Amino acid sequence: MKKSRFLGCIALVLILTMSLVGCANKTEAPKAEAPAKSEFKVGLVTDVGGLNDHSFNFLANKGLEQAEKELGIKKAVVESKQMTDYETNLSRFAQDKYNLVIAVGFLMQDAVVKVSKDYPDTKFMIIDSSITDRPNVASAMFKTEQCGYLVGVMAGLLEKTPGIPNALGKNTVGLVGGMAIPPVNDYIAGFIQGARSVNPGITVNLKYTNKFDDPALGKQTALSEIAGGADIVFPIAGGTGTGVIDAAKEKNAYAIGVDADQNYLAPENVITSALKGMDVATFNIIKNAKEGQFKSGDILFDLSNNGVGFATPTKVVPKEVVDKVNDAAKQIKDGKITVTNKMPAGF
Amino acid sequence: MNKIIKELVTPFVAIIIAILIGACVMILTGHNPLTAYGALFSGAFGSTVNLSNTMANAIPLILSGLGVAIAFKAGLFNIGAEGQYWIGSMAAVWIGYSVHGLPPILHISLAVLVSILAAGLWAGIIPGLAKALVGAHEVITTMMMSYIAIFLSHYMLENGPMMQPGFVPQSPVILPSAMLGKIVDRTQLSWGLVIALVVCVIVYWLLYKTTLGYRLRAVGLNSRAAKYAGINVSFNLVLALFISGMLAGLAGVVQMLGVQHRLYDSFSSGYGFTAIVVAILANNNPFGVILASIFFAALSTGGQSMQLVSGVPAHLTDVISGIIIFLIASKDVISLVQKRWRRRHSLAPVKEA
Repeated sequence: MKKSRFLGCIALVLILTMSLVGCANKTEAPKAEAPAKSEFKVGLVTDVGGLNDHSFNFLANKGLEQAEKELGIKKAVVESKQMTDYETNLSRFAQDKYNLVIAVGFLMQDAVVKVSKDYPDTKFMIIDSSITDRPNVASAMFKTEQCGYLVGVMAGLLEKTPGIPNALGKNTVGLVGGMAIPPVNDYIAGFIQGARSVNPGITVNLKYTNKFDDPALGKQTALSEIAGGADIVFPIAGGTGTGVIDAAKEKNAYAIGVDADQNYLAPENVITSALKGMDVATFNIIKNAKEGQFKSGDILFDLSNNGVGFATPTKVVPKEVVDKVNDAAKQIKDGKITVTNKMPAGF
Repeated sequence: MNKIIKELVTPFVAIIIAILIGACVMILTGHNPLTAYGALFSGAFGSTVNLSNTMANAIPLILSGLGVAIAFKAGLFNIGAEGQYWIGSMAAVWIGYSVHGLPPILHISLAVLVSILAAGLWAGIIPGLAKALVGAHEVITTMMMSYIAIFLSHYMLENGPMMQPGFVPQSPVILPSAMLGKIVDRTQLSWGLVIALVVCVIVYWLLYKTTLGYRLRAVGLNSRAAKYAGINVSFNLVLALFISGMLAGLAGVVQMLGVQHRLYDSFSSGYGFTAIVVAILANNNPFGVILASIFFAALSTGGQSMQLVSGVPAHLTDVISGIIIFLIASKDVISLVQKRWRRRHSLAPVKEA
């Protein structure tokens, strides 16, 4: 009696789940086949930072959303949970006959090279990684050393300017890098050149977290830099960077946002942001691809085509400082200042 | 038969409850759970490619899950499988790119042998001997060794001896002779699956059909009784951790030779930690480990297509696995409540009679 009732329970549960799965499949099936053939489909694969990293993936998605609105493309986004997902996610889009598949980030280079070989008819775009030998891959490259230079000039001047509220007066800034890889170090190299150009004695305290998705670690790193006398922190670390800004907020220090305008994260503390126009790049490349003008290889974005820049500074930054930064921007555009992406000696 | 069903009840109920709670979360956040779970299911099993990717994801979980399970059987909580995975991966990749001129069979065998030995020693020597000789708790030592392994990989890759020339902190790609072939093209499914299944049978045989396995289990059930029965407890503890480490290391080897082909910097693989969950869900049964691994692999692979089709974030699958762990961990609480309830109900009719 007991046994049969027990078995009955299990059978019931089994049937219930089966039916659940059954109806689920039914409701899902037509949806997956719905898109019409003429549609231009764009798929975006984020790296492990996820869409809410407030910088990298977020911006690429912004460009994608803009393209959806203005160009009428059909978009889909997948967030990668681990590095082994990259290849699977890229192939999934290619298999579903997406016209353009966007890979956000340097770390996806291997996966893009592999998948673009498997699916030669699908176009791919990768941000921050130079893949030049594949006819169906476009690489969006940014001269972020230029915007890094500009916020470096601003930070260097601020450290010298007397009367900035909450300044510690130690002529020290703190940098938090995600990893010692070119997309991060370009910013850092530019920042140090810019800061030193106006303030040769400045101390730049640089630490790497080696993680792009760990805000707690970012916060801890920034707190130790602030404790060491830094009153301006500059995170170049994707999702980890939000923790750095958090630390600045907690300790009344200043922060410089990265990639996107991150002022909204801490309006009192984020004085400006070094902008990397990944939204601009994503939108432009989608537009070109849709109009049949897809170009493979490196596509450069810099100050001259608004591919990089800096966000409007807050009131904390005196007007003469902003003027000097604008002046430096003009000189870079005119070719009077050349910023290299080579890390200075000692870093 | 009855025993098998009984063993399956707890994990099964836990999974169902977790899925239902997940559905509630979806409804609360304005998603349709049927569409979402349908997408998850078809994304995990719906086509050859999806099924292959799910199985590919399950391979490292099966192997490291077996490792954790065998330690559990000997009464040890090896939470350092992640570190042993890294050691195995590092050794495998190193052999993979630095040893030239071997035919594939030899090259792969060499990589496997060296790596599992390295990972086994990593778990066996310090945590194993520390436990056996001075009683240092393995939860602490395996975890600490795990961090050392992960940071060792950072050292190796970030301008270290294993870094590929250039800027990127990653190792060179392993030679073609060290790569495991693919079972299904254009997917990540390699012949590592066969390795995983064979190893599973071996582990079962080892645990239940050999004296060695009997001793390990005896130590796990009651180490004092085992000692009284003349079993060398210290030796078996070290051995259990050694085998456990070898299996977690093998997970790394198979992942490197079969899927990644090179070592990347920094990101935790996560397999070593999920392996603990797998072993718990499988109640340390080697074949249960296969099922549990496929389940978690399906959650992760299917989760990606779930977010694509239904817009439910893939991280919801983490919520589901979290609830499962919670429920299984509270199994004892449930059975306690059950016992009380039963006692009350079995006492009542006695009084009437």
